[in-house]
Amino acid sequence: MSIKIRDNKIKLLRIDLSTGKNRTEILPDSWLKKYLGCKGITTRLVYDEIPAGTDPFGPDNVIIFGTGPMDGMPVGMGRTSIACKSPRGCIAEGSAGGFFGPELRRADIDYILIRGKSEHPVYIFIEDSKVEIRDASHLWGLTTDETDTELRKELKDPNFQMRYIGPAAENLVHSAPIFGNLNQAGGRAGCGEVMGSKKLKAIAVRGHHGIAPKDYDAFVKAYKEFRKKVDIKTSRDMWSPIWTTYGAPILAPVFNDAGNLMTRNAQEMSWDWKKATGISAEKFLDDQVIKSKACWCCPTPSCQKLYKVNSGKYKGFKSGNYWAGQPLTFGSLIDNDDLNLLLVLSGLCNKYGLDIFHVGYTLCWAMECYERGLLTKEDTDGLELKFGCKDHDGLVDLIRKIAMKEGFGALLSLGCTEAAKKIGKGSEKYCLSVKGQEIEGIAERNLLMVGLGIAVSEVGPDHTRFYPPYPCNPSLMSREELEDLGLDLDLKLAFDSRNPKQKGKLLRWFTISRAIIESIPSCVFLIRDTLGLDMRPWFELYKAATGIDFEYSEFIKCGERVMNLDRLFNVREGFRRKDDHPPYRFAHEDVPNFGYKKLEPALFDPMLDEYYEANGWDKETSIPTEKKLKDLNLEDILVDLRAQNIEVK
Amino acid sequence: MKKIFVIEDLCNGCRLCETFCSSLEDGVFSEDGGRISVLKMPGEEKDIPIIGCDGKCIRSLFNENTPTCVSLCPTGALFYSEQQKAVETRLFYESAKKEHSIFKVIAPWKWPFPWRRPNAKKATSASEDAI
Repeated sequence: MSIKIRDNKIKLLRIDLSTGKNRTEILPDSWLKKYLGCKGITTRLVYDEIPAGTDPFGPDNVIIFGTGPMDGMPVGMGRTSIACKSPRGCIAEGSAGGFFGPELRRADIDYILIRGKSEHPVYIFIEDSKVEIRDASHLWGLTTDETDTELRKELKDPNFQMRYIGPAAENLVHSAPIFGNLNQAGGRAGCGEVMGSKKLKAIAVRGHHGIAPKDYDAFVKAYKEFRKKVDIKTSRDMWSPIWTTYGAPILAPVFNDAGNLMTRNAQEMSWDWKKATGISAEKFLDDQVIKSKACWCCPTPSCQKLYKVNSGKYKGFKSGNYWAGQPLTFGSLIDNDDLNLLLVLSGLCNKYGLDIFHVGYTLCWAMECYERGLLTKEDTDGLELKFGCKDHDGLVDLIRKIAMKEGFGALLSLGCTEAAKKIGKGSEKYCLSVKGQEIEGIAERNLLMVGLGIAVSEVGPDHTRFYPPYPCNPSLMSREELEDLGLDLDLKLAFDSRNPKQKGKLLRWFTISRAIIESIPSCVFLIRDTLGLDMRPWFELYKAATGIDFEYSEFIKCGERVMNLDRLFNVREGFRRKDDHPPYRFAHEDVPNFGYKKLEPALFDPMLDEYYEANGWDKETSIPTEKKLKDLNLEDILVDLRAQNIEVK
Repeated sequence: MKKIFVIEDLCNGCRLCETFCSSLEDGVFSEDGGRISVLKMPGEEKDIPIIGCDGKCIRSLFNENTPTCVSLCPTGALFYSEQQKAVETRLFYESAKKEHSIFKVIAPWKWPFPWRRPNAKKATSASEDAI
């Protein structure tokens, strides 16, 4: 069978759910050189397509699924960026791996932009040039795994790739993400909610085109270099073997020893040693793991794992994925040391389509409120909601209630910020959230760059924007090589995690470089060896794949442009410096026993100033300056901001 | 004669072999062009690579003596050897898996786990150069 090879034009499929019409549009080629792709182009589309003040749940909000030029080639890792305007007013953008991105590229489409609102549940069917909006009444209300099975049965081809939402997103539960490949979620800032408000249950894609890099031999050469840096035997990164085999949950005991493990709603930062090792990755691998599952063409053998609970009350419960978030959210934060219960709670979040960080942090907030008498048994439907809650069935049922917005679950489904506003009595102090979004478990007061990064992140706390939080090792490179990179950093100060100096500049570099990786696209989890500091291997891959000829410095500038676009969307929606702050607890309480100081203004503000200054943003307002916008060739946005009466200095 | 063998329990379904294989002839990454294809089983305990070649690679990109797909496999689910050696290798894998749970996700010839557990018996080893 001869294969059609797709061209390198950037194709945008526009679908209007209100009218049921669709059309394909070609985006300018120059966008590849300006925004790279994936996260870069989706962010630009979000800025262009969603006017200021749009109602997030209205028909004018759009939801965009974006792939990039490397998707469909063995480096893209299947990353798909999902973006819209968040129900919290800021930009919502996140990405997920899997197989959806490459399949979409094979269908000769790069971006899907969905506008309007359907009156009844629908799903979108795409097979190459055939696009249909089909009835999904029979899928509405089904959990994510049921939807996957039903849709696969209906489509009769196991190679269809899907993105869908669970019942939580249908019920507009706070922060619900979009799922795919059963357990992979993306867009936790509320993309699922927006998809639910459009009554869009799923998107199914199948494509048959071939994808060719511009220069195959150069691509293979660059790929070999890349593999050397990430492969378990050749990588010089001490974390490589650990990440590659056990994965991120290995962090729980390590975090515990360093005073980084948030315990009992971060009232303490270390847990009982036995408990921390009891939920660790080693125990998980010994007892529950069936096998590993991968995203598209990933060189990591074992990042996500399929598991089955094999003892206790929930024996036989099957789900997938145990990453760094789970041991925290359903372990130390709620003081639960039962690995079986932990896996069931996290698996249920996947099934109902909930965001684990929303559920975990809201649950521990409620537990602290209960212990302090701000919530009573009457509020919690009779559940004794203390830390280390022994009523396991009650907790399991509570997850369902959150997804269905029933009883006490209705309060928790709002997220901790809104829930605290509702009950008042000072409960806001115990919320671990920024911009209305729950944080993600990395210690702020110890790793100062993380404290800053969580506060300034445009979508609300999102550690993948500056991942990894541990210092990558600059000593792997010679002084000359480092100077060649032109990092503009005092590395000694920058990598001293407890020294506030240089943190703004370091965070700026991390944000830019991660924006590049998410835009070409690839996976930020693959930042091994020197790949976090030296972006040239990524640059070579991108050049070979697209055939674009440009300088390394222009490539880095693309990352900066994307990062600025995020900020500019928020600026237009009214977000300013006052919105960039750490959660109340971290700004007002020291870490007990470890001596890490609170992020009070005297410590935090100079870091924030440095960050804004390094970015070329105004220190008072956080708005990018005219000089910066011109430097980044974003003059059209400058005109747009001034037309909205926003003062750009 | 050397052939490519598969350990289905180890395959994580990444499709790297399938994707690269399809590109060896004409430089196009596609689904149908390759001589190996991976049956993805969402949520199942297996992913199944199906091999449609005799192991003589069109172009060995990484190591002259090893087919491209075998060099690329991140978990070690594919290996290239003589029939008799393959039996030994498989037996070695099965005993290694019993010894340490890490070998549920990676083959011992990809990452010989350096830390042994007390009292654990060493698995009888097939030589590494078979792979």
